[in-house]
Amino acid sequence: MTPNLSRLLNALGLVAVDTVLVLAFVDQLWFRDLPCPLCILQRAGFVAAGFGLALNLILGPRPSHYGVMILGAVAGVVVSVRQILLHIVPGSGSYGNAILDLHLYSWALIAFSLIIIGSAIMLLFDRQFAATERDRLKVLPVSAVVLFVSLVVANVVSTLAICGVGLCPETPGGYLIFNDNLSLTLLGQPL
Amino acid sequence: MMSLPFVLFACGLGAAWTSRRVAALGFWVAGVLMLLVLFRMHATDVLNIAL
Repeated sequence: MTPNLSRLLNALGLVAVDTVLVLAFVDQLWFRDLPCPLCILQRAGFVAAGFGLALNLILGPRPSHYGVMILGAVAGVVVSVRQILLHIVPGSGSYGNAILDLHLYSWALIAFSLIIIGSAIMLLFDRQFAATERDRLKVLPVSAVVLFVSLVVANVVSTLAICGVGLCPETPGGYLIFNDNLSLTLLGQPL
Repeated sequence: MMSLPFVLFACGLGAAWTSRRVAALGFWVAGVLMLLVLFRMHATDVLNIAL
């Protein structure tokens, strides 16, 4: 695998992670499905995994960047498995909307598993790590990285709006930032 | 506090964009550790399952 092909595949991978984060915002803003604390941490898991893809695109492919992807995805797996186990017993309810009969935390586990498998497969190809003169980033990698950074910043704003500066309520009922008692919200006090 | 992992990852991406790889990785490690600490603080209920 040439460095250029590796870069293309990493760009497509980052577009896929961007798509997951965009869909999470669509669910939050369009369908009014506010993310729970574990949902927010799963988003952070996608960012942690996507970070490795961004490093490969910005600084060139390295085995350690794939390690970043795998460890970030494992952190996401831990959170999504916890949420699946919370609702795995019939009658124990669920959180949020289901898409194609699976809830978002189940889809998240599948996506994190695919990231781990994809990273392991990419690590099999040594030629991508050969030291070569790096070309300037093309449109697709730059767009993927810029969108990724924008989504990370958007998650900072969204999480602050939902949770304030403290821990999130287990079942968020609205945007705390719009609460009348804004000063208490900013101090992270229970309302 | 819940937004801290995203803040750290954003700082890491900024460091990567300016070719500071070690700093970027440092921010990433801090972000993942923060994620795990927040997970520990939120995962307090006993799971109703028998493994």
